[in-house]
Amino acid sequence: MTTGELLLGAALCLVLGAALGPWFPRLWLALLLAAATGALGAALPMLAGAGPPEWEWRSAFAVGGEPVHLRLDSLSALFLVIVSFVGGASAVYSSEYWSDDTRPVSAPAGRLWMSSMLVAMGLVLVASNGLHFLIAWELFTVSAYFLITLERESRAARSAGWLYLAASHGGAVLLLGFFAAIAARTGSWDLGPMRDHRDLAPLFWLALFGFGVKGGVFPVHVWLPSAHANAPSHVSALMSGVAINMGIYGMMRFSGWLPVPAAAGWAVLGLGAAGALLGIALAFLQSDLKRLLAYCTVENVGIILIGFGGALVGVSHGDAPWGRLALAGALLHVWNHSLFKSLLFFGAGSVLHATGKREMSQLGGLWRSMPWTAGLFALGAVAVSGLPPLNGFVSEWLVYLGLFDAAASRGSAAWMLMPAAIVMGMSGALALATFVKAGATVFLGAGRSKAADDGRECGMRMLGPMFALGSACLAVGLAPVLFWPAISRSIEAWRPEWAVSEAPAPIITLGWVQAALAAVACVAVAWLWRKRARNGLRRAPTWGCAYSAPTARMQYTGGSFSGIVASWVPRISGFSRILRRPRGPFPSGATWIEEFPDTVLSYAIEPMAAIVLRVSAATRRLQHGRLQFYVVYLLSGLAVVAILVWIGVKQ
Amino acid sequence: MIIALESAVRLAVWLLLAPLLPGVINKVKAWVAGRRGPPVLQLYFDLARLWRKSVVMSTLASPGFVAGPAIAWVALAGAAMLMPLGPAGGAISFKGDVLLLVYLLALARFCTAWAALETGSAFGGMGAAREVSFAVLSEVALITAVLALSVQTGNITLSEMLSLSVGSGAMLLAAGLFGVLLAENCRVPFDDPNTHLELTMVHEAMVLDHSGPPFAVILHGASIKLLLFAVLLSQVVLPVGKLSPLAGTATLAGAVLAVTVCVGLVESLTARMAFRRVPLILTASFLLCLFALLLALKGGA
Repeated sequence: MTTGELLLGAALCLVLGAALGPWFPRLWLALLLAAATGALGAALPMLAGAGPPEWEWRSAFAVGGEPVHLRLDSLSALFLVIVSFVGGASAVYSSEYWSDDTRPVSAPAGRLWMSSMLVAMGLVLVASNGLHFLIAWELFTVSAYFLITLERESRAARSAGWLYLAASHGGAVLLLGFFAAIAARTGSWDLGPMRDHRDLAPLFWLALFGFGVKGGVFPVHVWLPSAHANAPSHVSALMSGVAINMGIYGMMRFSGWLPVPAAAGWAVLGLGAAGALLGIALAFLQSDLKRLLAYCTVENVGIILIGFGGALVGVSHGDAPWGRLALAGALLHVWNHSLFKSLLFFGAGSVLHATGKREMSQLGGLWRSMPWTAGLFALGAVAVSGLPPLNGFVSEWLVYLGLFDAAASRGSAAWMLMPAAIVMGMSGALALATFVKAGATVFLGAGRSKAADDGRECGMRMLGPMFALGSACLAVGLAPVLFWPAISRSIEAWRPEWAVSEAPAPIITLGWVQAALAAVACVAVAWLWRKRARNGLRRAPTWGCAYSAPTARMQYTGGSFSGIVASWVPRISGFSRILRRPRGPFPSGATWIEEFPDTVLSYAIEPMAAIVLRVSAATRRLQHGRLQFYVVYLLSGLAVVAILVWIGVKQ
Repeated sequence: MIIALESAVRLAVWLLLAPLLPGVINKVKAWVAGRRGPPVLQLYFDLARLWRKSVVMSTLASPGFVAGPAIAWVALAGAAMLMPLGPAGGAISFKGDVLLLVYLLALARFCTAWAALETGSAFGGMGAAREVSFAVLSEVALITAVLALSVQTGNITLSEMLSLSVGSGAMLLAAGLFGVLLAENCRVPFDDPNTHLELTMVHEAMVLDHSGPPFAVILHGASIKLLLFAVLLSQVVLPVGKLSPLAGTATLAGAVLAVTVCVGLVESLTARMAFRRVPLILTASFLLCLFALLLALKGGA
């Protein structure tokens, strides 16, 4: 089948799934998986170089007065792979996690909106007309809103959804301006490469922030932590692993098609560095598992932007070869991030499913009841910390290579790229700390609540998608060279001058070294395991410093784990503490709550929103429902108009 | 065949020589204090004894309690194989291997901290929290040092970065890296390997609950890490790679010995610092590396 037929088939399956899904869950799952397979069938040959490098379809059929124009090239195919793969995995996961038995009302609605969100994301990727892009974008935004607020009875989910909707529409206004300005300058809504239109360059700033809101770019990420934390976990995985990538796709797509201003690279690099550092610092301080993962998304978007910014700087420095490496790292990190972040969100979802808790200080010791989830979460934790031999390291390493090459060339670019490299080192170490904390607090030690002691392993339909994502993480880590063709074709689609076919030699060596390390590590673990058994093994309670009545509450909590770093950043994090001390000879209870709200939200957005609301409230006082005053408004309005007309006539 | 043999010899040298360093440090400390001290080979005896001993595991510990030390040891041994040894170069050398080395050290840290948290002991939590938090600053210093070296030599392959030239910033870099060495290997003034008070430990608190072969693996891994940093520090200051094989090896061995003696002297002459001061010294190490980086950028063409 041709690319067009496959894509059409996928779209039809999704639309049919949206129509029938609410009533037929199994049919919906089958249709969605068929659609995912179809889209993968269209995208993968293009990325592997087996199919045509670009698929384009123009039709006289008009939607909204504009003829339909679709296009799939290697760059959009790269993102389509993620939409299909993670979308399919989330669908399978949701069939057990958010099933009709437990959620008779919201599960059917969830199926409808999930199909519609996937089809909208697919349309965003293939739309080659500004108007249609905007329509698809809006459908995507609205579907995501309904998915975030599936659990409508939860107040937190409703307010998170509202914040998401408000922020997304702030971005949509910028995008409307962006596409309208392109249409006004070029005379048509049709999109495509227009690199010689130098006058379009300033529009990059509209695109950067318009797409940045959706992409979770610091400091316009404010909606992201609460939306990702309060959505159902399969939706969180879809949002964090796929939806934010649509924002990144927008930035990459239009910086490739349109000319960019000279300062674009620096701005993207600066935003990326700020996001990488502050995102992970805030993640480390969180005590809610899903909120921690959400902040970590801000960090990973930051790393992607560092690579992308490096590429833009490379373009403006005479097509420096290091720009290519940084872009390769950024593109591979898009894939990697969506793989390990959806794996981690699925893991968090399984914990939530089994215990009903996502507050880490009430969990612990879950590895006994949920060994597979614990192992897969640990794998994801190593991957997201950017450690060898998994996939996160490969892409971060490519970005580092770009930055270090630029530094070693001692050009003027070195001054900006070196701080980015140092920031990446710092955020890497913080990510490690964050995920040691998350994994260990949730899965190791003793359970901190009854719910944590009563955990149970989830079923195959939740574990299966996690296994699939975990194996993909391993595959990219151990054989990165297999994935190079996809990256190099996407680079070519972004900037045809940068076409590189051969995989660079270091990445081949790195793949072998990582595979060898993984093999030796397996042997070493097996050997030590056997040695332990042969030498004789005794189980005993954890040493409690001679204290005879240890309890689970004596363990280090997540909050105490991040205490040292929290003491370094008291002002940035702006945390709130609620302390109720035990009082009297027979204290009835005590409380100690530490919260780290979003700095940007509570110090910048909320005060501004408060001013807007106060002005609106003041204006509303005019509308009180007393007729005689309305007549006065009318008369005074007429009088003002009459005066204006009179002045006009006199002149 | 030759390559395999050479790698095997190289690995054997790393694994066999590494436990010597803690012995030398202890001998220096004993000498300064006027004691006779334990034999230089004490760690070898300890490792042999631990390897034969049976294991006591906490009832709470998962298989990660044993897997963590094993993976950490492999990561450290792998990092050692990447490190060039003077004129002999590295076992494997490719562009960007220096970053793999830095991240293998991080992998070892992840696994040790993870294993420390397995038992649910508050001491393990304390140690792991300190280790990963202080590592944020030492990692920054290390990355900056690597940047300085790559700017200095215009290269990001370890063997090239370490063999080329002694830059004007070498002494700054050496001072900064010495601070990182002390912090990463949990030596005084960051941590006291001989302390008996759990509340003030970093590394020792993490390994309190380990015993038998897994504990031996942890101790051996820690000694590899110390040797790794000593070799790195020596090669940053001395262009060992340019010497003849014999002279190079001798110089490298002498320099590593000198670094080890310095660690012992620091340990004898200073006291462990309060934990809230630790970030200050690590920041100072970072600044030293940063000045070296600026010198490299502005200095030699």
